[in-house]
Amino acid sequence: MKPSIRILIAVAVLLPATQLLATTFLPSNRIVRQLAIEPAGSVWIDNPFGSIDVIGGEGTVITVTAQRSIVASDATALKEASDAVTISFEGDSKVRLIRTLMPALRNAHATVDYTIRVPKSVAVKIGSKSADHIRVSHITGSVTVNGFAGTVIMEDVIGASILNIVNGRVIYDYQQNPIAKAEVQAVNADIDVYVPASAKFNWVADTINGDILTTFPIRSPRFAGTIFRGQINGPGGPTINTATMMGRVLLLAKGSDPGKASSMRLNPPEHRPAPSDVMLTPGVKIQLPFHDGDWSFVASVAAIAVGEVRGNAHIQIGAGELELGAVFGQCNVTLMGGPLNLGDVTGLLSAHTGAGDILVRAARLGGEVSTDGGLLHVLYSGGPMTLHSGGGDIIVGQTSGAVDAQTTSGDITITADPRHRTLKVGARTMQGNVILNVSPRFGADIDATIVTSDPDANVMHIDFTGLTVRREQAGAKTRIHATGKINGGGERVELYAEEGDIHISAQTITPVRLANPRR
Amino acid sequence: MSECRVMAENMPLLLTESLDPVQRELTHQHIESCAACASEWEATKETWRILETLPTVEVPARVKQRFLAEISAASEVPANVVPFRRRSAARWLAEAAAVVIVGGSAFYAGYRATPNVGLKPTPAEVTAIQPSYSIAESRVLPAASISPNIEGRPDIQNVQFTDASPSSQQIGVSFDITSHVTVTGKPADKSMVRLLRYVLENEDKMSPSRSRAIDWVRATYSRVDNPDPEITEALATVLRNDEHQGVRIKAADTLQSMQSAMTGGTRDALVEALKNDPNPAVRVKAVEALAKLARSGAVLDPDMVDTLRKKAAQGDENVYVRVKAAEALSSIQPR
Ligand SMILES: [Zn+2]
Repeated sequence: MKPSIRILIAVAVLLPATQLLATTFLPSNRIVRQLAIEPAGSVWIDNPFGSIDVIGGEGTVITVTAQRSIVASDATALKEASDAVTISFEGDSKVRLIRTLMPALRNAHATVDYTIRVPKSVAVKIGSKSADHIRVSHITGSVTVNGFAGTVIMEDVIGASILNIVNGRVIYDYQQNPIAKAEVQAVNADIDVYVPASAKFNWVADTINGDILTTFPIRSPRFAGTIFRGQINGPGGPTINTATMMGRVLLLAKGSDPGKASSMRLNPPEHRPAPSDVMLTPGVKIQLPFHDGDWSFVASVAAIAVGEVRGNAHIQIGAGELELGAVFGQCNVTLMGGPLNLGDVTGLLSAHTGAGDILVRAARLGGEVSTDGGLLHVLYSGGPMTLHSGGGDIIVGQTSGAVDAQTTSGDITITADPRHRTLKVGARTMQGNVILNVSPRFGADIDATIVTSDPDANVMHIDFTGLTVRREQAGAKTRIHATGKINGGGERVELYAEEGDIHISAQTITPVRLANPRR
Repeated sequence: MSECRVMAENMPLLLTESLDPVQRELTHQHIESCAACASEWEATKETWRILETLPTVEVPARVKQRFLAEISAASEVPANVVPFRRRSAARWLAEAAAVVIVGGSAFYAGYRATPNVGLKPTPAEVTAIQPSYSIAESRVLPAASISPNIEGRPDIQNVQFTDASPSSQQIGVSFDITSHVTVTGKPADKSMVRLLRYVLENEDKMSPSRSRAIDWVRATYSRVDNPDPEITEALATVLRNDEHQGVRIKAADTLQSMQSAMTGGTRDALVEALKNDPNPAVRVKAVEALAKLARSGAVLDPDMVDTLRKKAAQGDENVYVRVKAAEALSSIQPR
């Protein structure tokens, strides 16, 4: 037993790793540092604000040149920032960490631009929040970039690379045929990839809003949803994965004309049409006072506002916002997701969204309106109307046609046009209240049901006499069932509310009057 | 006839709440319309009642063990199934208790004309405030005259909202406690804000009044310049805890219209909703609110940015939620 050795080991374990490494802080505006690195070592650069250039070369030394700039509102803030923003060199010859220490600054903004020369075989890892550019060139080791905003340029990077960026631009410039995988994940960035014409690799590209363009002939191209896959110059080789949600992807054979690139989304080669193809069309923004005649339209991501469609409207959108002031004909709109705002629809209406609210000012002939989740609000319906929500309130401001409304969760409010003595109404909510407003003269055969676990809280308020009310308890649930004729009877009015109230209220209602539609 | 047999089989299931809503309703309807089944139903209920009064007999240990072994094999929940349970509400009462009025043990007087309202005695403790009011049929109290601190957990019922006098920008909230009380005041009066917060957050109240409360809060406070953050915090509590999707959608929608009063807790509730709410409309409202926040130049904390990044990249999320997340990210200035 040698106790001294045991103690030494214990001390080493207790110390945090960074304290074992040499640490230096430098406050000056321009510094140059040289550090030894092994050829198989790795270089970590963590710089929240400022550009980073990493250039590969020969040798076993890292040369760091850092240029600090501070913009401050006054001398005090400048001094504070100057003292606070420092550069820290940590690690050893296996791992070097170059870090900008930047606490939150008051009244000042600081950036540090780095130029770092490294042996080309090292692994490079970069963390950044905002950079004019991050450029990595002539590296044979692996490269990882995690950034938020900026242009990322990979120039002659031969090792595997992973890029993650939110806003900005990504450019890959291969000077020889790719031999390692590359993976780009971006949100709002265009991606350009330049590759020698003889390169052989698998290409995967994904975008919701942009296009997928290439000058290469593609073998075995196919789409799965929005994800495109294809082979360049035959099977085999590494995979280059280029994904950007809102931007476009461009893959160019070196020496080819970018103007001759063809769109994989618009003209998918060997592609069988599928319902999800709406996601393959380019995104658009349209703002128009009116559109003459029928309007048929498909877009993946769209923001559309049109004052009048002077004909039938047939619109299919992946994601977006759609606003049509008036439609003089039939209106048929489908969104995979997003809110719908429709004005005066003269013809039959059919509107659906995968998620989002739907507002309709007037559906003169009625129709169908549905959302998988969201609020449905129809100010006026002149014909039979079906409304479905996967969760959310339904409001029909006034209707002179039959209404069938259903929601998984939410309140349903329907007001009957007082000019009709009776109307067929169905309203069903699995969680919430049902409110039916009618004129005091309204006649109907009422069938109203509440199922509740709290019969003290959930009640029927019916402003008419003559209904028979039954209460039945089954387990913890009470069913309250009111049936009978009001004002001598009429069309069937079937209301159903779980864990909510039912109100049938008699009131003086001012009838809605619509202006004559222009033609 | 065979329908009656099916119904007879359904009856015990009805009593144990084991029928789906459609079957449950069909069974109820049949019982109502078929005399034979109606008397069968009465008999079933009677039997059930008798069974409940019978003394419970200790099951022999061996029988019990075997039974448990059999059912545990059958009832194992697959590991990938995560039940969506109601989260327990952060009880706000820590701040303490009763609105308004006078001490003593209260009872609910029941002012509604409908015959279905239960007369439920409630043990709410209420404390005197200055000036003190006596128990009376109906009271109108100016918000300025009552303490903003609600003590205990008074059981308030039949909550109604009124724009008492739009010209003077007065609003009113009335409810039954020991008597029918109406509190009037300006939207910014602290007592009014606290009272609304209580109405919104009191999780024992069924959602009908909460749903109406949110509608009214939106109508009232979206036209107020700087709404009290306590209102948005109450909405955030609803967004986190209400088990009714429709109510959560409303809460998220209303929060979106009250950007200026958002607190850290409110934003966290939106992030949480965007991450986990099963209803797509709630996630749509949450991401729209965050996108609006980002556009207004607000500083979003790293957790928010991270959630937006993940949402934008989540392949099985509604494409509109993803696009809105990307849009929010595009207007974020990192700092
Ligand atoms: Zn029967």
